[in-house]
Amino acid sequence: MFALAEKGMKQIEKFIPMRHTDIRELWNFKKTPLNLLVAFTTLVFLVLFVVGVSNYMIHGHHAYGVTREHPWGLMIAMYIFFVVSSTGLCIMSAIGHVFEVEVLEPFAKRAIHGALVTLLSGFVVILLEIGHPFRMMIYNTISPGMTSAIWGMGVLYSLYLIFIVIEFYFLLRHDHKWAKRFGIFGLVVGVAAHSNLGAVFGFLIGRPLANGIYYPLYFILSAMVTGCYLIFLMYGFKYKLNFPEDMQKTLVATAKILGLLLAILLFFEVWRMLTLIYGGVPERAETALHILKSAPFLAGEILLGILIPFFVILLSNAKAIKTMVFASFTGMIGIFFMRYDLVHDTQLFPMQTLKIREYQLPPSFIEYTPTMTEIFIALGAVGIAITLYYIGDKILYLETDPD
Amino acid sequence: MEVEISRRRFLQGSVALTIVGGTAFSASSLLSAQEEKKEFKVTTKTGLGKADNIPFLCGMCVNKCAGFARVEEGVVTKLNPNPYFPKSRNMLCPRGNAGIQTLYDPDRIKYPLVRIGERGDGKYKRVSWEEAYEAILHGTDKFKGLLQILDEEKDNRATIGYCNGEGLSKEGFEVLMGQKIGTPNYVDEISICLETTLGGYFNTIGAYGEADLNNADYLIIAGANRAEAIITPDTMDMFKRSKGRGLKTIVLDPRFTNTAAKADRWYAINPGTDLAFVLAMTYVVFNENLHNKTFLDKYADGWMDYKNHVLSKGYTPEWAEKITGIQAKEIYKTAREFMGAEHPIYYQGRRSVFSKNDFQLRRAMAIFQALSGNLDKKGGIIFGKKLTLPAEEINAPMYAQVKPRFDKEGIAIPTDKTGSWILFRNMVLEGKNPYPVRAMFMRKHNPMSGVPNTAKTEQFLKKMDLNVMIDILPSDTAMFCDVVLPEASYLERTSPVASYGALEPAIVQRRAAIKPLYESKTPEVIYKELAEKLSKPLWEITKKYDEDVQDDTKDMKPEELEQYYKENGFDLADAWEKPVEETNKERVVEAFGEEAWKILQEKGVYYPDMQKYHKQLNPNEFEYYPENKKNYTTKKDKLKVVVNFKNLAKKGIDPMPTWHDEWNFKVPEGKFRLVTGRHAQFTQSGTTNNMMLRDLIPTNYIWINKRVAKQKGIKFGDMVEVSSKVGKIHLKAYPTEKIAPNQTFLLHGFGGMSKGMEMAYANGGNDAMIIEDAIEPVYGAAAMHTTNVEIRKV
Amino acid sequence: MRYAMALDYKNCINCKACEVACKEENGVQLGADKHRIWVGVKEIEGEWPNLSIASSTFEPSQCQHCENAPCQEVCPTQATHYAKGGIVMVDADKCILCSYCMEACPYDARYVKDETMTVDKCTFCSDTRLARGETTTACQATCPTKVRTFGDLDDPNSEISQLLKTREHFTLKTHLGTKPKLFYLI
Repeated sequence: MFALAEKGMKQIEKFIPMRHTDIRELWNFKKTPLNLLVAFTTLVFLVLFVVGVSNYMIHGHHAYGVTREHPWGLMIAMYIFFVVSSTGLCIMSAIGHVFEVEVLEPFAKRAIHGALVTLLSGFVVILLEIGHPFRMMIYNTISPGMTSAIWGMGVLYSLYLIFIVIEFYFLLRHDHKWAKRFGIFGLVVGVAAHSNLGAVFGFLIGRPLANGIYYPLYFILSAMVTGCYLIFLMYGFKYKLNFPEDMQKTLVATAKILGLLLAILLFFEVWRMLTLIYGGVPERAETALHILKSAPFLAGEILLGILIPFFVILLSNAKAIKTMVFASFTGMIGIFFMRYDLVHDTQLFPMQTLKIREYQLPPSFIEYTPTMTEIFIALGAVGIAITLYYIGDKILYLETDPD
Repeated sequence: MEVEISRRRFLQGSVALTIVGGTAFSASSLLSAQEEKKEFKVTTKTGLGKADNIPFLCGMCVNKCAGFARVEEGVVTKLNPNPYFPKSRNMLCPRGNAGIQTLYDPDRIKYPLVRIGERGDGKYKRVSWEEAYEAILHGTDKFKGLLQILDEEKDNRATIGYCNGEGLSKEGFEVLMGQKIGTPNYVDEISICLETTLGGYFNTIGAYGEADLNNADYLIIAGANRAEAIITPDTMDMFKRSKGRGLKTIVLDPRFTNTAAKADRWYAINPGTDLAFVLAMTYVVFNENLHNKTFLDKYADGWMDYKNHVLSKGYTPEWAEKITGIQAKEIYKTAREFMGAEHPIYYQGRRSVFSKNDFQLRRAMAIFQALSGNLDKKGGIIFGKKLTLPAEEINAPMYAQVKPRFDKEGIAIPTDKTGSWILFRNMVLEGKNPYPVRAMFMRKHNPMSGVPNTAKTEQFLKKMDLNVMIDILPSDTAMFCDVVLPEASYLERTSPVASYGALEPAIVQRRAAIKPLYESKTPEVIYKELAEKLSKPLWEITKKYDEDVQDDTKDMKPEELEQYYKENGFDLADAWEKPVEETNKERVVEAFGEEAWKILQEKGVYYPDMQKYHKQLNPNEFEYYPENKKNYTTKKDKLKVVVNFKNLAKKGIDPMPTWHDEWNFKVPEGKFRLVTGRHAQFTQSGTTNNMMLRDLIPTNYIWINKRVAKQKGIKFGDMVEVSSKVGKIHLKAYPTEKIAPNQTFLLHGFGGMSKGMEMAYANGGNDAMIIEDAIEPVYGAAAMHTTNVEIRKV
Repeated sequence: MRYAMALDYKNCINCKACEVACKEENGVQLGADKHRIWVGVKEIEGEWPNLSIASSTFEPSQCQHCENAPCQEVCPTQATHYAKGGIVMVDADKCILCSYCMEACPYDARYVKDETMTVDKCTFCSDTRLARGETTTACQATCPTKVRTFGDLDDPNSEISQLLKTREHFTLKTHLGTKPKLFYLI
């Protein structure tokens, strides 16, 4: 089996430069405590993934905790988490090598690699969420519902995938002319796909919290924030916080951009909350107040996701890039909560507010708890993303200058 | 994840079932909500192919609504309303629709069972029908047979008690046990139901009557929850016109029922104090001269006595306010509105007795109705006319050794035919019966759930030497029986033709939609076979002890003896010589002709000129009789209202409705008065195993006022213990403002003890366990609202 | 031809006959959240004995078969489509269970049918009773107090058209512009 893989790798090497063609190199890494921890965690996640998927195969959709009133759960949140990360990395990479902002060029290749692996993980998650994925592929083509934001999103993300694969191919071959062209296509389609995803929520006329322009716009903004966090994490792990000179400059520039984006994001969130609550319009204001008082929002989204990284940048004038790596970690947790809250909050207020049985409490905010299967698949998908990233990092040249 | 299991496979018994009750309302647990459960779907989609539509009469409650059963390939897939029956008015209630789940209930008794364990432990042996009848006659090592019992009791047939739930085959059982086997000890379910209401009305206006709600314009409905205790056609007519649409509806009920939700006004009256309310209204009417003097002079003897009585006793609204909790000004208002209306009705109600003053209450209500003169006419309480069918002649034998019934202690008008369940049971338990009662034959009845004080019912059943049950499901009572015979449900049998309705009468018949399932048999076949089995052996006992028979048959030759046996009705099976289908045809053809029979067979309903009169008015409604053919006025001059019932005084009962202070509503501090009632989705305990209905209400809850619950720290769904002097139960709490702070309520029929009924077992609480066995003093009917309970969180 | 239903909701006694008839006719599975139609009840206002009768209304509801259905707009495979008579139907062969329609429906009309793992809802009995040529839905036929009238809005002589012409009525969440076809008669 290894011989076969090696043969395949040698074939690929004819097109793109590779660092190693021997699969067994994957086991060859510096066995530092941190590396071992990451490796072990990833392995555990992959095992959990297998458990989760088997459970889903046996029980179908019953393995998930979604209900009639709350049909979108952790799986959708994870899907959004991954594709947001993907688009974010794509945008950040585009600023560097498409628009030729030199200081941001160094991470262009790695960022696209990250965009690819997160996109693929996202697809894995959504394929496990959609009840009939193969049917989707058939009927999306022969019987398309073109007014559907999900249809649009499906088409656009497929195109996006194609474009960034090609872009990545050219980047690996150092063909900057073609890489730039596909970079633009990738960027445009990526932004379109991603704001389309925002529109999936924005088009819901029955859900006052989601309906409107906020989500399509906010998705792009928070994508860029996520991209920045991931860049810090990727390089923080690569250099073990021991950044070379030019990398430091890049990261400081990234931090400055991140700071600006976070400020805008905070601005967005504040005004969003204020306009939702102002006037006390039922259904909108009630739900918004409920969200404001909840821990996932306050602790997760705001504190971990925005405030901590923001203050690190602000107080250090964007210079504390080592601290920023840790802040990016909390940032990513915060980003996860942003996605989860997005999905959950949309469904908080019941569409049907009357009791349908005598012996029940009147419907109030819809509750949802993910099942073990969903959690396992979610963690597993993270594991897959890390694994794919690691494989790419090992066998491909992801720095702009081959070393 | 299960896919739909076809009814075919289910019926063949090839499906392994793990039925778990549906979970209620969303928020899932950490592990998938349905990981371990196999969901058994028991609804089939109706098909587009060939189907038979067999007319049936629903047996899920007492109304016998007419429907058509859609049968596709031998499987009943849907029950549809029958638009021809005037009484049921082209509808089927939730239970009517859910009859399919009762028909195909996997817990149905499938074959005769004989007890091999102890009473109540559920250990039975499957036997053949012959073996089951044999066990009834000769007993087993676990219980005595009827032959031995009658021999020991020297042919005193009264040693056998019997009871039967309402239905079209009830009369047949009465014939078998009461007339043929000859026991007088019938404990009819009527004494735990509306006996007293019927008695009150019969003894005042001569009949129970029917309320013409389609033409009335003012309605007082007290303690009758027509939105949840569905009665045809009253429920159908009442709610289309309340709330300002022609029928001003005043509801009196201690709790806010669904009927109260449909009312124009609701009064929260204290339980058991309705009589004070009616007396106060009567006072207002007499005091302000609002009554219909002409009518009363013509039809109501002694009404002046009543006027003097009420006025002199001072039953003012102010007096009533203290007792009932209803403001005096409301009583004045209601009384005046009632008399001012053109067609007012004080609805009779039909339910179990509230309190010991119920007889007087119903009399007072009937008299109050008479004060308005709105009797025997359009828009009032009418008497109507029933279509008569030729009666079946029963050759009832005479038994000299049979002793009379004894459940008469302390009641004024003991009924010879139907008795008093509580009195009968309690007297036997206390040893007050003058002769032993040793056997109970029961059919379609569940006294363990229906009669107050379950602990005593259990004792009573255990005291019997022989208990026999004929039923479709293994109820709590069946688990205390020695021989259990499976009967075919209402969709599997053709029943005796019956006549219903007064304003718009009709005769109705149900035909079997499918053949009896498993090894069950139709009731009439069971009666016949049991009679055949018992006939000759019991005749031997009679010959041994019955002196009259001995005198008659002295020196008779065997052929003469045989002739005597047959001619004098000792052949128990001769009442069922012809099958039901044949006797139905004979009776209908005799009364209405061949054409009528054809229509009845096809449509399940017949009344004269039906083809001509029956019209569809709109997609939902039909006209059954033209206006000028409806029986609004039938009694005319024969109408008589008995106001001063002087004969009652001889028995120690007030001849005219009078209030006694012992009936004042009192609840000790910290306790709650328990009231009983219905929800539209269940019929007592008979439907609690039905999968579809249990989907609607998975379990019963105890109602507790929200403020009181808060004080006690009780939240929705908390487990509480409800205890009274006679027992205690555990069930979940439902805090609601729809009940008073010192009262409580739980839905009847739950808390089953029979493990044979998977859905009903141990689910919720059985109110009969905590209701005290008080009886009202006129008929001995069970008074249900006299119990005070304690509630505490567990 | 536009099928709709008029509800004389003041007649409703919350008996749930319609819920049971629907499940029996259309083979809907058991389960508290697997209902196509329901009767909604508001929690009553006030404290015993001063309870507000007016606050305790019963509101039967189901899929509104909107003329401008948000569920139809958001379906990526056109599984949700307008069938004959403007009845909103779900083609179970095309449904991918993305649940977007369940998110988009403002009336909580949809649920997941376990047998096919597709989305299901009230179909106005179009593949059972209407397909056999009957003119009433199961819920309409069974109702004890005759709350429901199903019919064709485009037929001026139909019962429903007469009712809507002569009686005031309202619809639910009208401001969303879904043009629902369940009319509550006042």
